[in-house]
Parts: sequence; C-alpha cells; structure tokens
Amino acid sequence: MNNLLNIALFLRPVVKKILLLLFLIPFAVKSQTDSLLLKKDSIDIYDMSIDELIKLKAHGVPSEMESLINSLISVASKKPLNVRESPSVITLITEEEIKNSGARDLIDVLRLVPGINFGVDIEGVVGIGMRGNWAIEGKVLVLLDGQELNETVTGTVTFGNRYAVEHIKRIEIIRGPGSAIYGGYAEYGVINIITKQAEDLNGINITTTYGQMEKDYGRKNLSISAGKRINDLRISFSGFLGRGQRSDQIYKDYYGDSYSMAGNSSLNSSFANIAVSYKGLSLRAIGDYYNCIIRDGYGEVIKQGPVKTSFNNLFSELKYVKDLNKKLNLSARVNYKNQSPWKSNGYDFDLPYFVTSTRIFQNVSLNYNSSRKLNFVFGSECYQDYAIDRMKSGYFSNGGNNKNFQNYAGFFQGQLKLQPINLIFGTRFDSHSEFGNALVPRVGLTKKYDKFHYKILFSRAFKSPTIDNINFADSKGIKPEYTNVYEAEIGYKINKNSFFSINAYDISTTQAIVYYTSKDSSNTDFYSNFGYTGTKGIELEYRFKEKWGYFNLNYAYYSSTNKSSVDVYSTPESKSLLAFANHRVNLNTGININKNLSLNSTASYYGKRWFVSGIDSAGNSIKEKMDPLLLLNFFIRYQTPIKGFNVGLGVYDALNSKLNFIQPYDGGHAPLPGPSREFIIRLDYTLNYK
Amino acid sequence: MNMSTGYAQEKDYKAYTLYVYNFMKYIEWPEIESKGDFIIATIGNSPIDNEFKTLAKSKKLKGRNIVFKKYNSVEEIDNCHLIFIPSKEYATLKNINSIIKQKSILLVSENEGGAYKGASISFAVNDEDELTFDINRKELENHKLKISSTLVNLGNVVK
Repeated sequence: MNNLLNIALFLRPVVKKILLLLFLIPFAVKSQTDSLLLKKDSIDIYDMSIDELIKLKAHGVPSEMESLINSLISVASKKPLNVRESPSVITLITEEEIKNSGARDLIDVLRLVPGINFGVDIEGVVGIGMRGNWAIEGKVLVLLDGQELNETVTGTVTFGNRYAVEHIKRIEIIRGPGSAIYGGYAEYGVINIITKQAEDLNGINITTTYGQMEKDYGRKNLSISAGKRINDLRISFSGFLGRGQRSDQIYKDYYGDSYSMAGNSSLNSSFANIAVSYKGLSLRAIGDYYNCIIRDGYGEVIKQGPVKTSFNNLFSELKYVKDLNKKLNLSARVNYKNQSPWKSNGYDFDLPYFVTSTRIFQNVSLNYNSSRKLNFVFGSECYQDYAIDRMKSGYFSNGGNNKNFQNYAGFFQGQLKLQPINLIFGTRFDSHSEFGNALVPRVGLTKKYDKFHYKILFSRAFKSPTIDNINFADSKGIKPEYTNVYEAEIGYKINKNSFFSINAYDISTTQAIVYYTSKDSSNTDFYSNFGYTGTKGIELEYRFKEKWGYFNLNYAYYSSTNKSSVDVYSTPESKSLLAFANHRVNLNTGININKNLSLNSTASYYGKRWFVSGIDSAGNSIKEKMDPLLLLNFFIRYQTPIKGFNVGLGVYDALNSKLNFIQPYDGGHAPLPGPSREFIIRLDYTLNYK
Repeated sequence: MNMSTGYAQEKDYKAYTLYVYNFMKYIEWPEIESKGDFIIATIGNSPIDNEFKTLAKSKKLKGRNIVFKKYNSVEEIDNCHLIFIPSKEYATLKNINSIIKQKSILLVSENEGGAYKGASISFAVNDEDELTFDINRKELENHKLKISSTLVNLGNVVK
C-alpha cells in the first residue's frame, strides 16, 4: 500500500503537467521578470555605472517562448532580423527540440515543418517536396554551415541517415522563395543548417544510436564532436559514421518483381566537418561521403542484384568578415566544392556513371547601416563549374567529356524601418554562360506591434538549369524556370508562453523544366521548358513553451486547382499533385518530468496521397489514392547520475503505419517502402573543458 | 551576437528609469534650477510611474531630494525639471514643447522618433532589444540644458 502511495505521489506532478498540456492551459500568466533581476533586486541598481547601461534590455528576461519567436536570424535577409519581422515565412528548429524528439535523421526533423514532405526519385534516392511541389532537383537550397549541399550536376540533395542530428545547433528554414538572396537553387525554399561551433561545444561529445526495425537493424551510428575557444582562436570538429537502412519491407515494381529491402537498402555515411577561425578569418572543410545500396533502379527491380550508388562531396571555404567602421561591414569568401553524385558501376541496361563537378565560388558583400532605420546590403558573386565525365563516354551534349560554365551575379537589398511598417526590397541579377540572364526582385512589408505581427511578401524566384538540364536540353535549349510567390502571414502572441500564426501563399511556376521521353523511335530522354505548375495553400501553427514543456501543433493544406498543367505531376483530382497529401498535421510535445527526465512525443498525420499503382494494358499509368495514416513516435531522455552521460529510448512509428515514399512524378517507380516500427536507443556522453 | 536570444514582450521600465536617472546625473540645469527638490513628472498613467516613485523614495540627485509628480493633462504642467512622455501621450509631445517654451525642462520621450518632434531625448530599441536613445542637442540648447560628453557618446545625436 505504501509503495502505491509513493508511486502516486511521484506521478502527481507528472499527471498535472500532462493535464495542463492536454487541456491547453496556456493562459497562466507568470509574473514578469526583468533583466535587472539578474542583479540583486534592490535599490543598488541605480548605482550602476553609465557604461553598464549599454547592454540593458528594453524588455527584460524573455520567457522560453519569447526567446524563440523573437530570435534573430539571418537566413531571410542579409541583416539579422527577428523571426516575426523577417521578410519570409520562417521556421526555426532548435537544438532542444531535435534532442528531445529523439529524431533519427533530418527526415524526422524536417517532416514536422509545415509544407515539407519527402518523396522517392530513382535509385532509392529520397528528396524533398515543398508545399506540394516536388523540389529535389535544385529547387530547395540546403546549406550546412554555409556550404551548398545541392549537387551541381543534378541539383539534388538526398536524405536518409545522412547527417548527425546531434551536431545541429539550429535550423532556419525559409518556407518560400529565397532566390533574391541565394540564387538559383532557392526557388521554393531554403534550409539553413547550423552546427555547433567551438563555443557551443567547449568539450567533447560522443553519441551512438542503434535502431531496430521489425526485420532488421534500422541504423548503427556513431558521432563525435569537439570544440574549443582560446581567446580569439576557435577550433571545432565533428565526425559521423552512419550505417542505416531505408527499409526492411518488400519493394514491388509494376511488373510484379520484388525484393526484400532488408540488406538491400543500406544508407552509409562518412562525414567530417572541421572549422578554424581567428578573429574575422575562418576556414572550413567538410567531407561528406554517402552511399546507398539499391535494387529499385528507375523503378524496375534490378535483376543482377544490389547495386551501390555513391554521392561524394568535398567542401571548403575561406571567409573573412570585418567591421570597416561602425556602420559598414565587409564579408568576403571563396568556396570550393567537388562532387561526384550518382556514381555507380551500372546495372541491367544502365551504363556505369561517374561524373564529377567542381565549383569555385566567390562572394563579396557589404552591409551598411546608414542609421537604425535604414540598412543596405549589396554584393557580387561569381562561380565557375567544371564537369568531367570520368568514364570518358562522351556524356556531354558537345560529344566531349567535359564542360565548363560561368555565372556572374549582383544583388542588392534595402531595409527601411518606419513607424507603421518595415519595408524590405531587393533584387538579384544572374548571368550564366549557358542559359542566359535571370532577374528576380522581392518586396516585403512587415511589422511587429506588441503582440501582433504581419507580413505581406512578394518574391520572384528562379531555378537554375543544372548541368544535366543543360546537357539533356532538347533542340530549343533550356532556360531558367521562374516562380512568382505571394505570401501573407499574421501572428499573435497570446501570452508569454503561447503563440499562433497563420499564413497563406500562392506559388506560380512558368517555363517549368520537365523531363520527358521523345515520342519518336529514338525514345530519347530530354529536359525542356514547358507548362506551368504551382500550388496555393495555408499553414497554421500554434506553439506553447514553458520551462517544463512545450506543445507545437501545425496544419498545412495545399491545392493545385488551376495551378498545374504538367502531366507528369497530375492526378485525377485537380487539387492534388502526386505523392503529397493535401492535408498534413504535425504535433510535437515534450514534458520535463523532472530535471533529469523528459518524455516526448511527435505525431504526423498524412491525408490521402495519390500514387501510380501500375500500368494498364495500353501502357497508361494507373493512379490511385492511398489511405491516410498516422505516424506516432515516443522518446524518453534521461540524464544519468554520471555527469555528462545521457540515455535515450524511443519508438518511431509506434503504430507500425509504415509510411512509404511516393514518386512525385509519373516516372515508373512504385512507392518505396520506408522503415517499419523502429525501436531506438541513444547514448551520449559529453565532457566539458573547464 | 547570440542570434538565438529573443526578448520578452513587456517593457522593463526599471531599465528606462535607470537611463532617466543617468540623464539627470549627466545633464546640467542652469544655476537657478539647481537648488531645491528635483521634480520628475509624467503625463497620464504609465507603468513607469511606480518606478519613478521608487526612485524618488530611495535616491537623491547631488544631495537634492527627488520628487515625483503626475500630470493628468498637459494643462496641469507647471514647475518641474524633467517630463517623461509615455507612449500613450506621444501625440501631445509637440503641444507640451510649445507650452513649456524655453523653460529648463528636459523632455524625454518613451517612443522612438520623439527627438525629431521636440523632445530633447527619446528612447529607441535596437534589433537586439538593447535600450538606446537619441539626442536632440538643439532642443537641449533651447531649454538651456548642458549635456555631458559622456552621455553624448552613449547615445545617438540626431540634431
């Protein structure tokens, strides 16, 4: 009886916190704390010296929620602005959210963001969709510590047990166009991943994760990171070895052939990231070696057996930042990246493929604060691409084994803060040696009034044709595809701990770059500009955050009615495009049971999704709807009595819904199974330097 | 810069009061105004009133008592040394300046931009939520107030 009583007493505060979350009592008002309470709250504060006044905050110590929604970010404009005034629709994901959710990889992290989904391309490669639009080929820019991860040959970034989420400090996402700042890969969005740097690490961390699916292991990962700051010198290192599998389920193609993905869908990653900086000068090098074992090919099961496809990347950057005077800041950098994506020895009728591309990129920017109200950023960029066919197969359209391109760009951004409104305007001009010129302006009106904020945004964006787009262009040549995006957002801070926002968007893409097969006897594959595509929709988000827990709920809806003429994306319902559910809901909650134990849960609801289920006797694709499903995940994190040592236990897809990846275009690939229910254990140990 | 640190919503009026106290310390009033109690006033109701009351109760200015006075309307303005114009009363700023004419009264505006509209000093908040202030030297001269260089270096001179 005593034991029962003790258990009840222990659980009482836990139950209370759960009830508070469940019944959404976000209206509890805490008494205000102010920054001067950090000092002793007494009359002594009036004896502070005048020099100490400089850092006084106007609004005191923020609550956890206020810290988040008023964070300064720079992804959406070259000058840092707080999230609520940035001229884009922004999502900010923190280290705490990633750690507490037990996310296995970036797919787990990003699928909780409104508008982001994943689909399969070919050869087991999973890529990103944004607001219903397939975006794998250079339409969403993915940055890791400022390095463009998008491959120059195809524009792709592939996901799946690839980067160590435990190294991430924060992710800033533009859920809309970013070309006016970032150029031709940022047509539909920007994902800016920032890893922990020297000051954040100040020690060594080792993390290992093991995941077990129904029939086979899900992942066996090991990561290490270390960093130290010594006065003005900062050094950091992070490394990751990942051995994962896409799925343990059966893949079946349209022709009835199948294979077990257990043992035939490996995702192997070797990654290292080193950074050194001294005052304004910094040097970074990243090695990112990723390979997949696949048997799905372009959709038909590969007869000969498993095949390895590799994506090898080397990045380096030398950067210098200097305040020239109180108002003017200079930033200059040189980047080098060498990539060999989709490398394989060939299979069945597909030839061996080994094409490398090198990009050397230079950027100079000046940031001028004319006054507190007026800021200008202007700069120039250029890059040179060198692509080489290592197989010497005459891969390029000129019949040769190499091709060179150059691109020159200039950009400008102005920001004016007035009493009723903030005005941000900017433009970017690119001139490419192959596809010509692109000019993209943008305008944003934003303002934050006490608890309320609004944004009205217009951006023109473009997708640069990639090396493959140019190489396989039909006789008409290839031009950039252009997108106009209109967005509006309203946000309201209900109280210190909870916040609500709603945004609407309209995306219209013209001159869409589409891959097609010629109808003549040559049966040749081409890229061409034809048709228009796009979506419109709304996204809602509610966030509650307190010291003892958080609750995030978001809903995203898109429609393609009257927005898309591209057949390969279409479905029998005009509002829906292939692969991506019109309705999506995400929930992310966490409770700190006590200072050592946290319990977290995430859930993702997918509405009905269209997919190509087969080919009829006339050779036409059969399109069907997949039932809605719910992914439910749990994770417990425990700080053990051993200082610095933490244990995490969790289950992903607790309901065993087995979410699959659908191909977002009619390209002959059946849905690719994802992992089954996966139990994970994560151990991490941190030793801090004194 | 700690990019991830956001800020609270309610203003920290202790911080504003601390600045005002330093304005009092680092600005010189004419000899004739430098004797007797130092009077700080506000117009209408403001959350800063309680902070000024606390300041008045607990501190002195160069040996002088500090007295807090509240005017319910601009018509009530009489003798004082400093008038703090809260956000709600921002629209009355020009009117107040014309009423006090060239009296040695320091006008401090809570709202950014007040220094362009007749206040000698107005507060502003930068992107990092740090409190700062703008100085209108012409207005200070107009009201026969001398500002020390220490204070000028801390703020931003707009005129």
